Amino acid sequence: MSDLTLTALAAAIAAGKVSAVEATQACLDRVSRLDSRLRAFITLDADAALGRARALDADLAAGRRRGPLHGVPLAYKDLCRVRGLPTSCGTRTAEYFTSPTECTAVTRLTAAGAVTLGKLNMSELALGPFGDNPHHGNVDNPWKAGHVSGGSSSGSGAAVAAGLALGALGSDTGGSIRLPAACCGIVGIKPTYGRVSRAGVMPLSWSLDHLGPMARTVRDAALMLQVIAGPDPLDATSSPRPAGALVAALDGSPAGLRVAVPENYYLDGVTADVGAAVEAAARVLAGLGVGVHALRLPDPAAATDVANILARSESAAIHARVLRERPHELGAAVRSRLEVGLHVSAHDYLQAGRLRARLTREFVAEVFAEVDAVLAPAIPEPAPPLAAVTAGPADEIVRRMGRFSRLTRPFNVLGLPVVALPCGVAADGRPLGLQIVGRPFDEATILRLAHAYEQATDWHQRRPPA
Amino acid sequence: MSDCDSAGRRQVQGDIAALAGTIERLAGDLAIGEEPSNFAAVLEAAAPRE
Repeated sequence: MSDLTLTALAAAIAAGKVSAVEATQACLDRVSRLDSRLRAFITLDADAALGRARALDADLAAGRRRGPLHGVPLAYKDLCRVRGLPTSCGTRTAEYFTSPTECTAVTRLTAAGAVTLGKLNMSELALGPFGDNPHHGNVDNPWKAGHVSGGSSSGSGAAVAAGLALGALGSDTGGSIRLPAACCGIVGIKPTYGRVSRAGVMPLSWSLDHLGPMARTVRDAALMLQVIAGPDPLDATSSPRPAGALVAALDGSPAGLRVAVPENYYLDGVTADVGAAVEAAARVLAGLGVGVHALRLPDPAAATDVANILARSESAAIHARVLRERPHELGAAVRSRLEVGLHVSAHDYLQAGRLRARLTREFVAEVFAEVDAVLAPAIPEPAPPLAAVTAGPADEIVRRMGRFSRLTRPFNVLGLPVVALPCGVAADGRPLGLQIVGRPFDEATILRLAHAYEQATDWHQRRPPA
Repeated sequence: MSDCDSAGRRQVQGDIAALAGTIERLAGDLAIGEEPSNFAAVLEAAAPRE
């Protein structure tokens, strides 16, 4: 059962071939067997999950199918408020974040029939791209022990890749869905800013936070996105646009679409296997009738500078009370990073916000006049050894963090939708990741391209060693 | 706080100061009417027509 995709499992449950209890128990068995190494879960809610699965099986027997995820076991990054469970946000404080309402995305997935397995490990306060955590243990890479799982949604990436859950929610402020998706060889979607409600989710940076799905295939991730997207009165930044029929849009031909391979920045300094994988992906798409063009993109340096100002200032403001009253609850590295944001002036913060609007307008006008989507690597190298990237002085570690997330961060500032998906492997089997970036609110086009690419290759069918 | 932490913090504060300089330079020619909330309007305006 661990080889089934989310979509295939949902169909098998609907057809009565597999019960929700069997599916849930299979995930719990894999957690028992594998999670002592992976450390993907912070809270496992086994009894409640099995109870929910039994109720769903009874519903189905009575002819009541709750929705497209009926009986499918999912798990959520531990910054999503889930009724009845603590929300540590990766800190050592079990109830670090509280909210009067449950995470809207979790509520919608539950209403669609999903089973909640528990809460997933993450970088402390979602700060960090490597998947290390001083309180709950470092999330290990399912493909190669001792290597980076990607962060900050590290548990989400590892759990889905290892078959501990069929899908997961992650959050992405500078790459935190796409980096673990790439490191763990799965699919992650950072939707357009405003596409998915962030109500009931711990904020790190109001301007840059995005919530999105992580799953094994594009179809699985699209199905989850279709369920969670759409307006939400509990999130003032939520767009009024309806989710749309994202799954139905997958099967259209990509022929005639145009994609860009960047001439600048995104392929500079990446390892040879990463560069070759992106070029190969472009050739696959060309073989499907997609027009592939080399294009010089607006310099992302300005977007990265804007991201740094916005993220540091907002995260310091959000966590100022904890810094002041309970600093011992945070690890030294996170505390130090947050405190720096207190030194950003209001003037610089406002100028960064004004620049963001202009940078987005310019990028949309210059790039999407020429193409429908942009291809770029998600990570500049295959997942490196964790010990190597977390060693040395603090400033050097921070610089490594910046380098590892340099390909994902610009798109948080621009608010554009991005799907990250597997596009190859290094010589030793570590996954490589591709980003496909689209127009605002045009998830349908990037998912169509991603699905077509996926169907023409077999990267998504590979599984980590048991 | 260790000397290492302190040195790291000074380094990052230096980076913030440099960033502020860059932001100020980039923002030098912003139009008076450019405001942060324009960002959401840009996204909505560029969305595909339904």
